[in-house]
Amino acid sequence: MQPEAAIEHVLGLARQSGLAEVDVLVERGESLGLKIRDAKVEKVDQSTSLGLGVRVLLDGRTGLAYTERLEASALRRVLDEALENAELQDQLEVNLPDPAEDVPAAEALQLYNPELEQLSFEELAEVGLEIEATAKQTDQRVFTLPYLGVSRESGEWILGTSKGTHYRQRANSATTYCGALLQEGESRKTGFWFWQMRDWNRAAAAAIGPKAVKEGTSLLGAKSIQNCKMPVILDEYCAPQLLGMFFRAFHADAAQKGTSRLVGRLGEKIAGENVTLYDDPHIPGARGSSHLDSEGVLTQKLSLVEQGVFENFLYHVESASKEQRTSTGHARRSYNSGIGTGSHNLVMEKGSYSLEELCQQPERALLVTSLEGAAGCNSISGDISIGVQGFLLEKGERVKPVDSITVAGNFFDLLSQIQGLGNCYQPYLSKVFVPPMLLDGLAISG
Amino acid sequence: MLVDQTIAKVLEHGLHQGADFAEVFIEDSVSRSLDLLDRKIDQINSGNSYGIGIRLLFGHESCYGYSSDPDPAGLLQLTENLARSKRGEGRVTPKDLRRAPVNDQHRIRLSPEKVGKMDRVELLRSLDQLTRSHGEAIRQVSASILEKKRSMLIANSEGLFREDSRQYMRVRLSAIADTGDGPQGGAESPGVLGGYEFLEEVDLEKLAREAAETALRMAGAGYIDGGVMPVVMGNGFGGVIFHEACGHPLETEAIRKNASPFTGKLGQSIASPVLTAVDDGTIANAWGSLNIDDEGNEAQRTVLIKDGVLQQYLSDRVGAAQVGVPQTGSSRRESYKYAPVSRMRNTYIDKGPDKIEDIIRSVDHGLYAKKLGGGSVDPGTGEFNFAVQEGYIIRKGKVAEPVRGATLIGKGYEVLPKISMIADDLKLAAGICGASSGMVPTTVGQPTLKIDSILVGGR
Repeated sequence: MQPEAAIEHVLGLARQSGLAEVDVLVERGESLGLKIRDAKVEKVDQSTSLGLGVRVLLDGRTGLAYTERLEASALRRVLDEALENAELQDQLEVNLPDPAEDVPAAEALQLYNPELEQLSFEELAEVGLEIEATAKQTDQRVFTLPYLGVSRESGEWILGTSKGTHYRQRANSATTYCGALLQEGESRKTGFWFWQMRDWNRAAAAAIGPKAVKEGTSLLGAKSIQNCKMPVILDEYCAPQLLGMFFRAFHADAAQKGTSRLVGRLGEKIAGENVTLYDDPHIPGARGSSHLDSEGVLTQKLSLVEQGVFENFLYHVESASKEQRTSTGHARRSYNSGIGTGSHNLVMEKGSYSLEELCQQPERALLVTSLEGAAGCNSISGDISIGVQGFLLEKGERVKPVDSITVAGNFFDLLSQIQGLGNCYQPYLSKVFVPPMLLDGLAISG
Repeated sequence: MLVDQTIAKVLEHGLHQGADFAEVFIEDSVSRSLDLLDRKIDQINSGNSYGIGIRLLFGHESCYGYSSDPDPAGLLQLTENLARSKRGEGRVTPKDLRRAPVNDQHRIRLSPEKVGKMDRVELLRSLDQLTRSHGEAIRQVSASILEKKRSMLIANSEGLFREDSRQYMRVRLSAIADTGDGPQGGAESPGVLGGYEFLEEVDLEKLAREAAETALRMAGAGYIDGGVMPVVMGNGFGGVIFHEACGHPLETEAIRKNASPFTGKLGQSIASPVLTAVDDGTIANAWGSLNIDDEGNEAQRTVLIKDGVLQQYLSDRVGAAQVGVPQTGSSRRESYKYAPVSRMRNTYIDKGPDKIEDIIRSVDHGLYAKKLGGGSVDPGTGEFNFAVQEGYIIRKGKVAEPVRGATLIGKGYEVLPKISMIADDLKLAAGICGASSGMVPTTVGQPTLKIDSILVGGR
C-alpha cells in the first residue's frame, strides 16, 4: 500500500472501531551513497526505507505501535497493538490537537530540490574520486583516507489524524565527507571536512579533500599543556555542538520531571546580556524548518533567551496540558518512537567579531576546533568535562597545536561568561546556528 | 519470509551481473519497550521491522541495498541497480542452497510472549519504589524494559542458507539525586540474549541500590582536580576502555583501511605482559553472544591479546580476505539496513593474579574510577575519551572522598603497556556499541585494574 493510502486505511479502521483520537505518521527515505578508496568506488549503498507509526489516545492514555510493512493485515495489527498498549499506560491527559488553520504550503520552506534527484551515480563517483585524488596530492603526510563518501538522500514525512490534519513535507540534500589520516614522526591526526547542501555545487562538493588534509596537518605534532585557566574560543562548528549537548534543559518536560537546571528560573537572567537565543521553524532551507510539528500543531518562532533573560520553555501537547497552556509546537517523533520535545532551528544571535578578531581579544587563549565525545557532559547537572583539540593562541596567532587536554566547567555558568560572539555560522545545512564564542571560566587539565 | 526460489533468483541475478559473491539477508523483528518516568507508565511502544538486504561483492568492493518490499520483481531490480556501477561478465553460477541447521547455544527458558504485559508494568513500578526507598534525595527515577526478537535468514551464492533468531531482554534504570548541589545521576542497565526468565531472576533490590547509591554519592561529591595520575578502573563496565581504545582498532574494518595503530602488529607485543584479552561470541546467554554471525558463520571465541602479544583481529568476510586473516564469526549489523562488518561481541580483559585491596594500596594519589559512563574513540589515531560515572580519590592507598566530573582521555596503544596490575574479579556488563554497521549489543568487561598514568580531566 502507498503511504497516503495506508494512513487513510488506519484512520478508517480507527473510525470503525469507534476510536476518536488517532494519529498516523509515515516516514519514507531514499538514499544513494558511495564510499571511495584507492581510486575505486569501494562501496555502494542504496536504500528505500519506510515506516508507519500509530498513536492512539484513549481516555487520556497513549498507546504507540509501528510497522515497516504496509499490507492491510499489518496495519490492522499495528492499530490493535497501539490500543492494547494504551490500555496499560497511566493517564497523561493528552488530547489530539484540532487541525491547524491556514497552514502554508510546505514548498515555501524550500526543503526539497528536485534537481538533486537527477544527480547520477556517475557524477557522485567522479566527485568522490576527485576528492580522493586532490586530498592525496595535497600533502605527502596523508597516510590513508579511511572515510571518504559521497551521497544524496531524500526523505518525507506525512502526518494524518482522525481530527482531519493532513500534512506532508519532504526534504533532500547532497553530502560529501572526507576523513584523512595524517602521520609525521610519531604524531598521527585525523583531519575531517564535509560539505552538505541542497543546491548541488560540484566544485564546492569536490573541494573538501585539501580542506580535510589541512585540518589534520595543522594538528600534527600537537602536545598537551599544563593545568591552567585561560580563555577558550569555540569555533562555529564546536559552539553548536556544545549547546546541543545541554539544550534539553529548555524542554518543559525535563523541567516538569526535575531534570532541568532551568526549572523555576523563567524571567530570570540566566546568561550574559550578549546572549539571545530563539527557535525559528520557518528559516527557508534550514534542516529543522517545518510548518507543523509531529503532533500537527502550528509552529511559531519562540524566544528562549532575550538579552540574557530566560523567556520560554519548549512544549508539546502533553507537557503543555500539565500546565494548562497550549503547545508551542515542539513535539518531535519518528515513526518508531514516542513523542519527545525538540527545537526546530535553534539560533543564537551573532556578535560583531570575525573569528580572527575574536581570537585577538585575549592576550593568550585556547582555540578549540574539535570536541572529543559527549560522554563527559552531563545534560542534567550541566557539568562539562571533555577532551578537546585545537591551538594555543598568543595575540591571536596560532603558536602551537594542542591535544591531550580536557576542559571543564558548567554549561549554565558559562552562559554568563561569554565574553564575545563571532559574526558567522557554519555554512552547511544545519538546524543549530551558534556563532563562535569566547568563554571565560573553563579549567584546562593536561 | 521470502520463498526460497526468490532468494535463489536474486543470488543468481547478482552473479549474472558480474558479482563474485551475492548474499541475501532477511530480517523480521519484533520490538517492545515499556518506560516508566516520574512514577508513571509513560510510554509503551511495540513494533515490527521487516526488510531484505542484498549484498554483492566484486572482489573487495561491495554494493549493498535494502528494501521493506518483498516483491520479487523489485528485488531483482534492486540487484541490478546495485551491480550497475560494476557490471562485468557473469561467469559464476551460484551453488545450490543447502539449508544448514543452527545449533542454539542460548536457550530461552520462558518465552516473553507467554508473560502478560501487566507483569512488566508491575516490575517497573516496584523498581521505581525500590529506588526511591533510598531516600528523599532521590528526585527522579526512570526505568524501562526493552525486548527484541530478531528473526533472520541468511543465504549466499556459496550455498549457505541459515535461519536463526535472537531474543534480547534488557532492563534500564536511572536515578537522579540532588542534595542541594545540583542533580547527579546513577544508572544500571543489565541485559541478556535470553528470555523473560532474566526479568524474573534479576536482583531488583540490588539494581535499585546500585543506581541510587551512585547518584547519592555523586550528588554529595566535589570536583576532581585534573591532571596525569594513576587510575584504578573498576570491574565490569570499566571494560569499555578496552572496547574503545583497543577493540575497535582491532577490527579488520579499521585494519584493512590501514586506519589502526595495530595494523601489521600481529605477533608483536602491544600491551603489558600481564594482559590477556578475549572477544567471545559463545558465552551462554550473554548480551553480545550469537549462534551465528550476520554472515551466517558460527560464533567463535577469539583471543585478541595473550600475555601482551597481539594474536588475532576481529574479522568479517571482506576484512578477512583483504587483511589475509581467518574469519572469526564476528560480522554484525544492527538490522537489514546495514551491510555487516567486523564488530565486537563480548569483549573483556581476562582476570589476573592481583587482589583489589593490593591494587588500591599501591596508589599514593590517584583516582578510583569505580563505574564508567560512555566514551568514544578515533580508531585511526587511537585517541579515546570516557566519562567516569562514579569516582573516588585514592589517598595514601585508601579510597577517600567521592569526586564528580572526571573524564579519562588518552591513546589506546599508549595506555595498554601502562596496565600494571589486574585483579581476579572479572565481571561483564551489557552495552550498546555504535559503528558503521549500526548499533549492536555488545558486552564489555574486565577485572579491577590499574593504569599507571593517564590524563584525568577535571577542574
